[in-house]
Amino acid sequence: MSTWTEADLLYWDEKISRIATDLGLDWHPIDYEIIDYQEMLGAMAYTGLPTHYRHWSYGKEYERTHTLYNMGQTGLPYEMIINSNPSIAYLMKENALHIHVLTMAHCVGHSDFFKNNRMFANTNPNNIIDSFKSAAKYVKKLIEDPSIGINKVERILDAAHSIKYQVPRYPGIKYKTQQELLAVEKAKMEADPKYKTNLERVPLEPQYNLLRFIAEHSKHLKEWERNLLLIVEESSKYFIPQAMTKIMNEGWACTIHYKIVNELNLPDDLHLPFLKLHNQVIRPHLGQVNPYHLGYKLFEKLIKDFGFDEAKILREIHNDITFLRCYIDQEFLEEMNYFSYSFKKTKKSLTIDQISDDSGWEKVRDELIKNVGLNRLPVVYVDEIEKNNVLSLVHEHDGRDLDVAHGQKVHDYIKILWGDDVKLVSTVENEVWEF
Amino acid sequence: MSVFRKHKSIVDRAASDRVRHKKKIEKAIKHSIKDVIAEESIIGQNGKKKIRIPVKGIKEYRFLYGNNENNKTVGSGGDHKLRRGQKIGKGRGNRARGQGMGPGTNEKGEEYYDVEVTLEELAEYLFNDLELPDLEKKQFRFVSQEAVKRKGYRFKGIRPRLAKKETVKRKIKRRKMAQKAGTFDPESDERFPFHQNDLKYHYIKPKDKDNSAAVIFFLMDVSGSMSQDRKYLARSFFFLLYQFLNHKYERVEVVFISHSTHADRVNENDFFKVATNGGTIISSCLNLELDIIEKEFHPNSWNIYTFYCGDGENWHSDNETSLDLFKKIKDLSQLTGYCEINETYKGLADDDDDQTFGISSWATFSAWKNEEMENLWAKLGPLCDNKFKKVMVGDTEHIWTAFNALFGGKIKS
Repeated sequence: MSTWTEADLLYWDEKISRIATDLGLDWHPIDYEIIDYQEMLGAMAYTGLPTHYRHWSYGKEYERTHTLYNMGQTGLPYEMIINSNPSIAYLMKENALHIHVLTMAHCVGHSDFFKNNRMFANTNPNNIIDSFKSAAKYVKKLIEDPSIGINKVERILDAAHSIKYQVPRYPGIKYKTQQELLAVEKAKMEADPKYKTNLERVPLEPQYNLLRFIAEHSKHLKEWERNLLLIVEESSKYFIPQAMTKIMNEGWACTIHYKIVNELNLPDDLHLPFLKLHNQVIRPHLGQVNPYHLGYKLFEKLIKDFGFDEAKILREIHNDITFLRCYIDQEFLEEMNYFSYSFKKTKKSLTIDQISDDSGWEKVRDELIKNVGLNRLPVVYVDEIEKNNVLSLVHEHDGRDLDVAHGQKVHDYIKILWGDDVKLVSTVENEVWEF
Repeated sequence: MSVFRKHKSIVDRAASDRVRHKKKIEKAIKHSIKDVIAEESIIGQNGKKKIRIPVKGIKEYRFLYGNNENNKTVGSGGDHKLRRGQKIGKGRGNRARGQGMGPGTNEKGEEYYDVEVTLEELAEYLFNDLELPDLEKKQFRFVSQEAVKRKGYRFKGIRPRLAKKETVKRKIKRRKMAQKAGTFDPESDERFPFHQNDLKYHYIKPKDKDNSAAVIFFLMDVSGSMSQDRKYLARSFFFLLYQFLNHKYERVEVVFISHSTHADRVNENDFFKVATNGGTIISSCLNLELDIIEKEFHPNSWNIYTFYCGDGENWHSDNETSLDLFKKIKDLSQLTGYCEINETYKGLADDDDDQTFGISSWATFSAWKNEEMENLWAKLGPLCDNKFKKVMVGDTEHIWTAFNALFGGKIKS
């Protein structure tokens, strides 16, 4: 039985909106879907997108969340919001009113962040739902097509998903086409007779968008297979900015909900449970980075140092990497008590490498940044199409070795997509490793 | 102002993807079954025992950083007593999953994860798609009448089977009619009692449960040439057969016969454990089987299955006799399987578990080993049809393919 009514939600939403406007926030209107536990699981499996295409991995995700939840290892999120205009957010029926109040205030923070942070400049929130819908329709059509069917579709999607994060990470950069690059190279050669380059080389510059490159250059893919790759690439583009700003985005939303709810003058029977919940959300996780915690604390410090208006500027211009790089210092790390650790073969144990003291804090900071968002994933780029149409890929080694077993599998997947041989070069334990 | 919508979705949108995922798990289990069925520990267990099956192929793969010294993780500490070099745990597996995107680096890159199933479920997975070859309707010996089914209503019946709802319905009908006819006024205080004619009773019909009975004869060569390894393969093979028939039939009788130069009817334990020695006369066990069939299992009431497992060696002079006896047994049995354990047989290139095997392709291997075409394997050739099948097993991984070949290997789509 709910202890709240829709009128309650409307009442608090109106107050929240007024305070947020006074704070100078600028957000998309929000559509709240009131759903039950089952629907929440469903929404989570598809990362909230109501129109995502079908794939068995989302069924797996559903089961996983369901199991974890049943075993009490995870709670369902209080908030889930989609970067669309209007923003779509979910409220779970079973939750109590104070959770909804926090969620709604939190969602205003997210929606404001989506609308203002520059990482999201190219995300096209007006059309995102429709573009996912048409992709889902297309996938459905292929599955129902008797000459294609689910097995062939999955063969491509399984493979494409293995490289779905191998796309350019910084939104907003315009990459030159092969023709444009050729023009640049030719101009350089004309200007300087000594300058030499191989104009035959494809690509002329390293290509980081594996999905698009394969879709455009594979000699074996059918039209619908290329389209599937581009669909996966398109959906990656939607997620990349969120991965780039997880800490900031959550930190900002927590800052906003805390600010707003404190001004709401909630009655005690709502305010005390709210405080408890807020502290739960932003508590540090032992041995991990809780983005809610880190982001909230960092914004708290910045607001104290520079004021809220300055913080609003920061929420526009930074992403997690630049944000941490610029603003965490020894004092902050020491207070948060961050440390770095790794698995030592010799000790067969996880062992602490650095702690945040005078000599260690910079290393801890650097390792922290290496573990932020997409930095946790290796970068692999297309180097060249070699003789006999061999696709040559290179892993950009940054000191961390690839997981070889996974690498091998992904290599196999890329071969399925490319159709001809694929070479992948990396470094493992200081030696050249070729898959 | 925000909009609030009560979500009214009738469809469970994740349903089809969940089904698909489940199918994948089942397929993966089937795929790993080859490794599992030869597991020492599951042989001879009853159906309730749980076994862990390593399943591969459902994992999603991405480029990841490996679990090594250069790949450092950062986290917040509980207190300020941390020091460099301090050990904090066994491995990344202990760490909870990170949030947000990215797969985290806690998986060790293993291809397998375990699924726990009972033997019964395992049989379900394994055998649901396989059909028994032409299952003749026999005069069933075990026809139980336990099942009863409600079927309609009758005006007569015993009190406990009174169908209250139907009875009330009839009364209401009667009252409405009475109202129309003007014989009853609902406004008045007059009662409108039940009438004998209102009463209806559930009718119960006994239902014959189709109950099928089968007897399986397991015949095994225990001559000196049957090494421990060969016996192990035979055992695994028999185990699978037993599970399968047990799954398909309500009631299964099993007769174990072991033979060297003479045959003995033994119990399960001895069948698998008894030491091996002596020469090989296959006809001895075939004779014993025919004997037992005549005395105990009339083919009109029993589905008879016969499976022979040996290393293909037999006294030369016995081959013709054995052949005749195999013919006889074939006529009495639903299916007769001849399995030869032969380490030189390396199997056919197979990656696809759905593949059906042509029986003819098996022959060459045995012939190659025995050099002459006089051996039993070759002689059995003409006998082969859908009621008599021969398979060869050289390694544990052949067991499943051999099994498929035996039972037609047809996968219901």
